[in-house]
This record gives sequence, C-alpha cells and structure tokens, in this order.
Amino acid sequence: MPPTSGHLIRNFCIVAHIDHGKSTLADRLLEYTGTVSQREMKEQLLDDMELERARGITIKARAVVMYYPRNGDTYELNLIDTPGHVDFHYEVSRSLTCCEGAMLLVDAFQGIQAQTVANAYASLEHDLAIIPVINKIDAVHAQPDAVSQEMEQSLGFESTEILRVSAKTGVGIEALLEAAIDTVPPPEGNPEAPLQAMVFDSHYDEFRGAITYVRIMNGKIEKGQKIRFLRGETTHEVLELGQFAPTKQPCDLLHAGQVGYLICNIKSMDQVHIGDTIADPRQLAPALPGYQEPQRMVYCGLYPSDGQDFSQLRDALEKLSINDPSFDFEPETSDALGFGFRCGFLGLLHMEIVQQRLEQESNIDLIQTAPNVTYEILTKRGDTLQINRPQEVPDSGEIAEFRQPIVRVRVILPADYIGPVMKLCQERQGVQQDTEYLSPTRAILTYDLPLAEVIYDLHDKLKSVTRGYGTMDYDLMGYVAANLVRVDVLVNGNRVDALSIICEKSDAERRGRAIVKKLKSELDRHMFEVAVQAAIGARVVARETVPALRKNVTAKCYGGDISRKRKLWAKQREGKKRMKSIGQVDIPQKAFMAVLETGGDS
Amino acid sequence: MTPRAAYVHVPFCRHRCGYCNFSVVAGRDDLTEAFLEALARELSELGTPREVDTLFIGGGTPTHLKSPSLVRLLEIVKYWFPTASGYEWTVEANPVDLNPETAEILAAYGVTRISLGVQSFQDRKLALLERDHRSREVRHAFDTARQHVSSVSIDLIFGVPGETLVEWTRDLAQAITLGPDHLSAYSLTFERGTQFWNRRKKGELLPIEEDAGGQLYERAIDTLGAAGWEHYEVSSFARPGYRCRHNEVYWTGGEYFAAGPGAARFINGRRESNHRSTSTYLRYLSEGRNPVQESELLDNEMLARERLVFGLRRLEGVALIRFQQDTGYTVQQLAGEAVRRFLDMELLEETATHLRLTRRGLLVSDSLWPDLI
Ligand SMILES: Nc1nc2c(ncn2[C@@H]2O[C@H](COP(=O)(O)OP(=O)(O)OP(=O)(O)O)[C@@H](O)[C@H]2O)c(=O)[nH]1
Ligand code: SF4
Ligand SMILES: [Mg+2]
Repeated sequence: MPPTSGHLIRNFCIVAHIDHGKSTLADRLLEYTGTVSQREMKEQLLDDMELERARGITIKARAVVMYYPRNGDTYELNLIDTPGHVDFHYEVSRSLTCCEGAMLLVDAFQGIQAQTVANAYASLEHDLAIIPVINKIDAVHAQPDAVSQEMEQSLGFESTEILRVSAKTGVGIEALLEAAIDTVPPPEGNPEAPLQAMVFDSHYDEFRGAITYVRIMNGKIEKGQKIRFLRGETTHEVLELGQFAPTKQPCDLLHAGQVGYLICNIKSMDQVHIGDTIADPRQLAPALPGYQEPQRMVYCGLYPSDGQDFSQLRDALEKLSINDPSFDFEPETSDALGFGFRCGFLGLLHMEIVQQRLEQESNIDLIQTAPNVTYEILTKRGDTLQINRPQEVPDSGEIAEFRQPIVRVRVILPADYIGPVMKLCQERQGVQQDTEYLSPTRAILTYDLPLAEVIYDLHDKLKSVTRGYGTMDYDLMGYVAANLVRVDVLVNGNRVDALSIICEKSDAERRGRAIVKKLKSELDRHMFEVAVQAAIGARVVARETVPALRKNVTAKCYGGDISRKRKLWAKQREGKKRMKSIGQVDIPQKAFMAVLETGGDS
Repeated sequence: MTPRAAYVHVPFCRHRCGYCNFSVVAGRDDLTEAFLEALARELSELGTPREVDTLFIGGGTPTHLKSPSLVRLLEIVKYWFPTASGYEWTVEANPVDLNPETAEILAAYGVTRISLGVQSFQDRKLALLERDHRSREVRHAFDTARQHVSSVSIDLIFGVPGETLVEWTRDLAQAITLGPDHLSAYSLTFERGTQFWNRRKKGELLPIEEDAGGQLYERAIDTLGAAGWEHYEVSSFARPGYRCRHNEVYWTGGEYFAAGPGAARFINGRRESNHRSTSTYLRYLSEGRNPVQESELLDNEMLARERLVFGLRRLEGVALIRFQQDTGYTVQQLAGEAVRRFLDMELLEETATHLRLTRRGLLVSDSLWPDLI
C-alpha cells in the first residue's frame, strides 16, 4: 500500500456513554470498508481482551486503519474505539490527542447520559470536529426525535447535522463515513519537518518486547532508522513499523498524520513512557506537550499471596503498567501481609480490572486490602501530609486538620427520580449545587460530595434508586476539612495494620461493628478465646469474641487406613502455614477481602 | 519382620447408608463370585500362607454374604492367614444379617470376636442414619453373637442432627445394659461424596453445634468410665482385658497384611492401599493387574511421627523412652516447639514415663495433630 498523502487521511475516535454501541459501530465500519471480511467478523471484534469479552465492555482503546475509496481517491481512516466507563477516561483522553474528529454516539432510547456530556466537553477541549450520532434507531423503544431534541438543547447541535444509525443493522453507515470525510479535517502535520511522534499507548509482547503505539505529528519514520525517546532518553532502531487493520500490517514508512505502531526490541519495561515524544536523533525536535497524569481516586494494598514472591508481583505490575499507565504503585510493607504494593486506581472498576489482569496475564494470586481514597492531614507542626494508606495517619494529638477529597458529581436522571436521588446525596453529606433540565422529563443534578462516599457505592445505589436510568460523572474539586478518624482492628490486642480504615467519626462505630463481625465469621476457632476489636486510638468501639475451640475430635481410623489421616492432617498443616499469623491467631487470606465488603455497606 | 496381623475388606451392603463413605457396593450381590475369585487371586500373591495373631474381616457387611459364599470367604482367609495360638479374629456384622446360621459358621471357622454395627438404640436415630435395622432387632442379634463367640463389640454413633444429651444418654445406658465387652463411639461426620454431605449443603441436614458435640462426647467418657469401662483410645472403650488387639496393631506402628477393595496394608515400611472402587478392583485382578492405587515408602522420621500421633490418640499416651528406642527419635526432636506449646496450654501432660492428652486436649485433639505430623 503506497503511503497516503496527508489530505486523504482522517483520524477520528468514537466516544459515548458506556454501552451506547461504540464497539458495535466499529464492527460495522470495519465491515463496510472491507477491512474485516464477513468470515472473520464477530461482535465487538475490537474487544479482544479476555476480560473485555467476559464483561462485554471495552477496557482498552483500540486504533485501526481502514481504507475507503471515494471519487477516485482512497482515503485512509484511522479509527479509535474508546471505552465508555468513567474509570477508563484516561484511555479516551489519550485517544483524543491523536485525532481531529470524534463521533459522539447517543443511544436512541437512553438519550444523553453523564459520560455523553463529559465526552462532548472533552472533545471540544481538544478542538475536535464532532459528528453527533444517534445510534440504535432500530431498537423497539428508540425515540430518536426526543433524543435529537435533547442533543440540540443541551449540547447545542443542529438537528440537521445529527446522523441516525443502527450499528446493529448497518443503517446509516455509509452516510456516517461520508460525514467523517467531509467533517473531520485532515491532519495538519508536515511530513518534511523533523520527526515528532506521540506515544499514546503500548503493550508488552513476550517475544518482541514493547510495542509502541504512535501518532506521527510531524516528519516520518522509516523502517531501520534510529529513533530517540525524548523523556526516556534512549535510542533504538526501528525493526518493524506498521498499522493495525486490526491485526498488525507492517509497512516501510509512517508519516505525519498517520497512526501506527513501532517495534524496536525494547525488553526493559521502564524505557517506554506513554505520553513521551519520539524524535529523530539526527535532527532532534522539541518534545510534544504529553499527557497530564491522571488523578488516582482509590488506593489499596496488593500483596502476593503465599508462595509467590514480591519480585514476581513487581514484574507483573511493571509489565501491566506499560499497557495501562493510569494506575500507579509503590512498595509498602505491612506487619500482617509482608511486602507488597500500594496501588492507585481511577475507580473501583479499574481496581478490579487491574487485579484480574494481573491474575490472568501474569498468573499471580493476590491479597487485596480494603480500598481507600487519599486524605490530607495538616499537622500541628504545619506540614501537609498526603495519606494513601490508613496506617500512615499520625496520632490524633498531632493532627491540626484532617481533610478529605470532595468531588462535584453530575447525575443525569429522569425528573421523576429527583426526590429520591437528592435524599441519597444528602444522606452522604452532599451539598447541592445546581439543577438543570435537559428536557421536561430529564434533569442534571449537581452535588458536591466526599469522594469516599461516591467511590464506594453511590453508583450502585443510584442505579437502584433510579431503576437503572440515572448515570453519573464526577470531577475532583479539592480537599475539605472533615471530622475523620482512623479505626483500627485488633486481634487479641494486636493491631492488624492492613485492616485499618479511615471514616467519618460519626460513622466509626457502625463501621467498626460491621468489620469485627465479619472478621469474626472468617476466623477459625482457636485453642484459646480470640477477641476481635475495633478501636479509635485507645478507645474500643466494637468487640466480638471467637470462643475457644471446645470439640474437634472425630472418628477412628477405619481399616487401618492411616495414610489417609496423615495426609489430611498434613494438608491442614499446610493450610495453617498459608494463613497470616498475628500473635498466635491465624488469619486466613480471605479475611482481608472480607473486610473489603464492609467498605461497601455504608 | 513379617506382619502378624491381617485385614480383609468385604464391600457388600444391602444398601448404602447416607453418611457412609467406605468402600461399599450396595445391591450388587451378583458380584459376589467375582469378588471371591479376585480376593483369592490377590492373596495368592503372598505365595505362602502367613501365620497371624490377629485377623479382622470388615466392610461393608461381611455377614451380608449368603452362607455358601461366607464359607468360601472364611476358607480363603483361613488358608492364607492361619492363626497362631491365642489369636483374635474379628468379623463385622450388622444386626439384621446376624442369624444363628451365620453365627454358627463364623464360630465353626474359629472367629472369636464379632463387632456389631448397632449405631443406636433409638429408632429416630437409626432411621435418620438410614440403617436397615431397628432397636428391637439389636437384642436378638447380640444374644446370637454372645452364644457363639467369646467377645462382642458394638459401634455407636453420636451427634446426629437433632440429637440431645438425653437421647445419647439413653443410648449409653442401653448399651451398658446390653453388656458388650467392647464399644466404639464415633461422632457423625459429613464426608465429601456422601448423601449427607449434599443434604447438609442444601440445608436439609443441620449438624449439631460444636459445643453440643463436645458435651455428648464427654457424657460417653464419663458414663462408660463410671460403669467400669476403660477408655483406651479416642473412640474406643473396653471392659478390662477386652481391648481390640488388632486395632492396637494399627495404632502402635505395627505392620499388617490387607486384601479387598480399598484395603490398606503396611509391610516393610511401605503403606499401600487398593483401589477403592470395587469394580476397578475386580477388573484389575481379573486382568492380572496389581490392585494397588497408592503406595508410599515412609522414611524413619515419618514413621516416628505417625507413631507419635497415633500413640497420643491412645489415652495412656506415648512412653517416652520406649518411643525413642523404637523410632530413633525423641519427641523433642520431632515436635519440641509444638509439644511445649500444648503442654503450656494444658492440652498435653507429662507423667513420669509418658506424654499424654489431657481431657481438654482429648476434646480438641484433631486440632493438635497437624502440628505434630
Ligand atoms: N438494538 C441495537 N443494539 C445495539 C446497537 N448497537 C449496539 N447495540 C447493543 O448494545 C450493547 C453495547 O454495545 P457495545 O458496542 O459493546 O457498546 P460500547 O459503547 O462499545 O460499550 P463500552 O465500550 O463498554 O462503553 C450490545 O449489546 C450491542 O449489541 C444498535 O444499533 N441497535
Ligand atoms: S452398613 Fe456400614 S458399610 Fe454398609 S453402607 Fe451402611 S455404614 Fe456403610
Ligand atoms: Mg466498547
């Protein structure tokens, strides 16, 4: 394939609220342009990660090149399918920097949702040409006219520019492709200028090393040439380059405006940085602006389960972080769990996905501690501490002010549910900011709420209160002083550091009671009584007792089958070794997870 | 030294009781012939008959065999395991099968001891356990046994769902009145693969509380003790002079021959067990293959650890000097830390010569073994 000249290139992404049909639309585009044959086609083809298929959602943004002939020219269309869930918005924002246009999809039944608004604004901030699209017009309950009105009213589109398609049946796909060519401007870069390429993603391949995904902003890259990572400060030879269609299609050259990949035999994982700029070492150009570090919203400890060592977990985290730069990790130690990492995530779903990817892709067993948000403490000495783990909270005597993060939450919901949702937010110490109507029947409520309340279960509660019709989005506003305490858990008088939590003082007793109760149910009876307590400083706020074992003696050994008994006891011994022992009390790994659940029932 | 004990397993039962996970086939009497043939073939591997001091035929239900088959079984066993003088020969029997004719045959071949699967005298318990006899049949079977052999043992089960202290006390009283020489009392366990296991999972059967189970067990120890019975092993009680010598071989590290499906043997420091599935056992032998499923050679330390644990399950405990002489290890070497901890917690105690369980240690003894094995 000869290189496409710049004016025939169109780079755009598909953005939308979760499940509004982005990946299905990508299927139709791939099919219509003949990029993928009928035979190879399957639903949500680009969602090829095991977890994406299992959960039916997109987790990673995926770039694909398509060719489309029109009026004697062949256009090169670089499409990026993005995830819709708020926890993966960093994937979206990186995709936006590689494009000149965005297809903004809205479900013809659900209408505008929280992430629709968030994505529309993000696209505008990146100066992208937006193609507004109503999808799923084939669906039984589709109300394209009502949705169209909403889009005009709240996002300011003209009814004439809004396209109507069905990603399922393929209706309107041709018009959409035509619109992409007409509306999205060609990329501006100069192929003759010194090379500047943006690293927007990467992944690690066992055999070939790091595969770097780039958007060429200026200049060109040829196979065999040397390239320089400006931030990584390393130089490499390009062994292979190409584009995804959707499998790797090697070529000899990528030039300004194109999106593709590079393989340079990079085996050391700390050399590739997402957001880095690639330049030509013979003709160094300045670095591109790069990406803003995403804001981590939740932290938790990840520890190797028994038998696996810390370095195995570190390797796995490093490997995963080159494909997902949005989580961070640093080593920590816990008396109870040993050596592990404190990891920061964009949300609870992200935390769950990272954990599952570590387990699946690197075959590791993890123990996870309860998630918490980052707090800020002003000490009496005048220092400001960032607290990512409850263990770091100093004694209350040293604290001048304990602050928690507050977020501004926008909830989009049918007007009928305004009452219950306001109640929900108020119960969580929300302060109402605004109410706005999208249409006579739908509204946007804006509240400021503690992030901790939002993270743990607001989304689930919102879904249940609004029967699934309410959606939400939030931005970090800053830190505000609050009446917070650290609640510790003690087992026979010994503090189990990995079980400490931070919560509102008024909520401490209830939380403490829930935790000790749950923990009690996870502990086996010992030869002695075990006290499980929750305490604020020296004050015990909840207590449960696991009574001493009274009877554990069963049967004779039938027919002299001594081996079976011996093996059974040996197995029990191994099981005991796997538990974390705190002051002679064996705490099963599951107990650390169990406490996590109580984090949710606030 | 060649073993002086032998065990033979007969897998047949009328039906399978809900809690049973032994190597058993129910309603397959058609396999009797094949079984006897297989057994004969398995034993013929011994090459020459081996004289023994104790013999035990268990099951299953050995007395479920029809008379001619039972006769053949006893012939085979007696041929391969001729008994030395002063021998003990036990056969397990169920109350419904033990009629005078069967007892006559057993006695004629020299059986000295009958172990009767009574399980309970309470019809509620018997029904729940899915046993095929009822309380009134027990007396009759017991008398029959008494008339034919010199020693009769009975098995009792406690801690079935819903069992109260009153119900169990009644069982114990009736057992003492019946007057056997030996009694084994087991608490009901829910084993994987049994119907009881599934029914418990579905919530149909509710195991009794741990504390209640402890009370029942203590009641057995106290009641039988007061009636002059010797509690000599976790679940075994005997009138003076009537311990089960065969079982004592198992518990004191002795070696033994074995034959039949699922049967476990211990010869030359090697523990082996046969295939538990009767059909596999039969097929292997009919194809001339070895019916052993698992086999492991124990090193001296493992032998010593087994001796320690099974020794401690006997109430008189482990004779420390003897232990060292026999095994080459001191208890200190094997498990010093754990033993000290259990001594501190008063779960174990030391006498001048022995290390043994305390009453409290006995009650939780299954939690001690993992640290000692
Ligand atoms: N009826 C109908 N269903 C559609 C249409 N497009 C997508 N769907 C269905 O909507 C669901 C979500 O589709 P996806 O393509 O996975 O949505 P997505 O926007 O990529 O979702 P995320 O990537 O997780 O944000 C699937 O069940 C699709 O079959 C359409 O045009 N009509
Ligand atoms: S009689 Fe005994 S061996 Fe037979 S099934 Fe019942 S419990 Fe099992
Ligand atoms: Mg998708």
